[in-house]
Amino acid sequence: MKRKLISLLLVLAVLAPLTAVYGAETIKIGALYTMTGRGGQYGKDSEVAIKIALDEVNAKGLPGGAKLDVIITDDKNPQYAVSVAKRYITDEKCKFLFGIISTAIGLAVTEVSKEHKVIFIGTDHAGTDLTANKFQKYYFRSSNNTFQSMMAGAYYLKDEVKNWKKIAYIGPDYAYGRDQWMELKWGLDKLGVKYQVVGEYWPKLYEPDYTSYITAIMKAAPDILVNGMWGGDTVSFIKQAKPYGLFNKMKYFHVDAGGNYEALAALGADMPEGIIMSARHHNNWPDTPANKAYVQKFYKAAGRYPSYAAEGAYVGVHMIAEAIRKVGNANDTEALVKALEGMKIQTPEDPPGFTSYIDPKTHQIVQIQAIGTTVKNDKFPPAKYMLGNFKIYPADKLWPSFEYIDYMTKVKGK
Amino acid sequence: MDINTFLAQFVSGLSVAMLLFLISSGLTLIFGVVNVLNFAHGSFYLLGTYFAYQLMQLFNNFWVGLLVGAIGAGIVGMVIEILFLRRIYGRAQEGAFQLLMTFAFILILDDVVKFIWGPEYKTIPKPDSLMGSFNMGSVMVPTYNVFIIVVGLLVVLFAWYFLTKTDTGKTVRASSLDRVMLGLLGTNVPMIMTLVFGVATAMGGLAGVLAAPLRTVTPGAGVEFIIDSMIVVVIGGFGNFWGALLGALIIGEVLSFGILWMPELATVLTFIVMIIVLIVKPEGLLAKKAVGRK
Repeated sequence: MKRKLISLLLVLAVLAPLTAVYGAETIKIGALYTMTGRGGQYGKDSEVAIKIALDEVNAKGLPGGAKLDVIITDDKNPQYAVSVAKRYITDEKCKFLFGIISTAIGLAVTEVSKEHKVIFIGTDHAGTDLTANKFQKYYFRSSNNTFQSMMAGAYYLKDEVKNWKKIAYIGPDYAYGRDQWMELKWGLDKLGVKYQVVGEYWPKLYEPDYTSYITAIMKAAPDILVNGMWGGDTVSFIKQAKPYGLFNKMKYFHVDAGGNYEALAALGADMPEGIIMSARHHNNWPDTPANKAYVQKFYKAAGRYPSYAAEGAYVGVHMIAEAIRKVGNANDTEALVKALEGMKIQTPEDPPGFTSYIDPKTHQIVQIQAIGTTVKNDKFPPAKYMLGNFKIYPADKLWPSFEYIDYMTKVKGK
Repeated sequence: MDINTFLAQFVSGLSVAMLLFLISSGLTLIFGVVNVLNFAHGSFYLLGTYFAYQLMQLFNNFWVGLLVGAIGAGIVGMVIEILFLRRIYGRAQEGAFQLLMTFAFILILDDVVKFIWGPEYKTIPKPDSLMGSFNMGSVMVPTYNVFIIVVGLLVVLFAWYFLTKTDTGKTVRASSLDRVMLGLLGTNVPMIMTLVFGVATAMGGLAGVLAAPLRTVTPGAGVEFIIDSMIVVVIGGFGNFWGALLGALIIGEVLSFGILWMPELATVLTFIVMIIVLIVKPEGLLAKKAVGRK
């Protein structure tokens, strides 16, 4: 009997650590991304980056041996995304909502997060509303909003572009396109820049043919053409505008999403040289070991270089892991909110001497913006041009701007 | 407005119209002859583009890509017609089945494209001979846009000759009027349906390859203009080939001058034109009152 008892204890002693490992909590993150259609590449790139971040986070370890896991669903449209987000919370017991490419869907899901008091990390959608007039305490964003891009753009136009007065805008006819123009004009006014608007053009999102817009813009003859498109729309517009000589007749300015790697890759040698662009992450800037390592890891995993959507997802997973480490568990949502507020997080796009941080009042990540011009560079094939000649805009000059948030709240409501 | 601005905007509108026509003509042909409202027509545009892309990876020749893109899309179209669509002809509530099935093919073909070629944007360059622009007076016109206009006009001429001067063309027209009678007269009607479906989807593929050097080659690109194509077909008259040409010209030019004069309303204008046509001539501008169709 005694021997049996000793054997049993021995078995239990051997199994105990295993039980600890297998019994460790899996913390689920419920992600929603556009996985099909035009925006599908953003979702696919985010998926790759999430996998890389999960491997890093789980290898480093979380309190109590917990593991992070991410479930990804195609978000389709706001109604569907809301139903999936609710299912994530009630059925899948996800501790976090995550992702989302489209601002319209982000705005719908932030309401679910607010209602259920579940933290939602927005990783790609850039509509300023979510961290401004539509702020709610459980929402955090791991990539910049359009105001940060456009405010940096306003500085660029003031300081780097000489002798211009006439400006025109073309952008997709929905909140993302409309907001960028409103933000840039607000920024220019704020900086005391005098300008004359000679045209505003609102093609629909995914417009396949810009020919008539291009000839109308040529007729308006602005000194600067601001473009607020993203993804394939940028590619189509540039392809169609180039034979008209548009890029020789005016300065082309496209600083929220124009310089996204996917557009640089798709245009290849068709990309005009010297046009002003930026993006939320650059594969060739900053030239730091951290950025190089991130880009190479992505390339190794996917066989292609990342678009900027990937970095937001990558940073978002690390934000969650850091918050859990700080709090010690993933169950105390209020403590996690406090941990995220003001969190400093080193991201691939941080240049030496700067660490991105979460603004505690708006829950928006605050990052340095770099605006450049297209230069020949074939180190990231199939792109033949990358951005260079970067001008850097300090993070704290760009966000938060409570003056703009007040203005936006007045214009768009709460 | 000076003549140069008018000319520049008119040529832009013409270029937009010709691509719209190439897509819409296939859509309307399928509706007129096969009596199917093919929601998946854009997917054949997409397939044509990707077939061309694949061929250009191997041969680096735009013209080979153009040919293979169009033929490939047509072959897939015929296979789908034979294996799937043919099974629902004549069923009660055929319309609902058509809608569901062709919509399903949008999703299936889109994912097939993504599975084979990946989600990232692809590029199809213009042929060297069609690079650059030339000046028409003081108006700059890209050579490639003129090429698209010429191809559109050639398709119109070819279609006119085929439909009015050849026996097969006359049979196709007859099948759009009364396919039961045509069958009784000994014509292999199912084969005509398949051929028309193949030709129309090949035209979709052709439009896809022609548009590719100007647009983004990406999964999802096939659904973006289906609404515009539907507007064209509604304006011209469902099933009317020449109506598609007229509808495309109207939409192309309305959009083009709308952008110049009232850019805020440009995209709404096309819908306004459609509503006016639906009120004044609901069957479409060139459609005859449907009589005797079975």
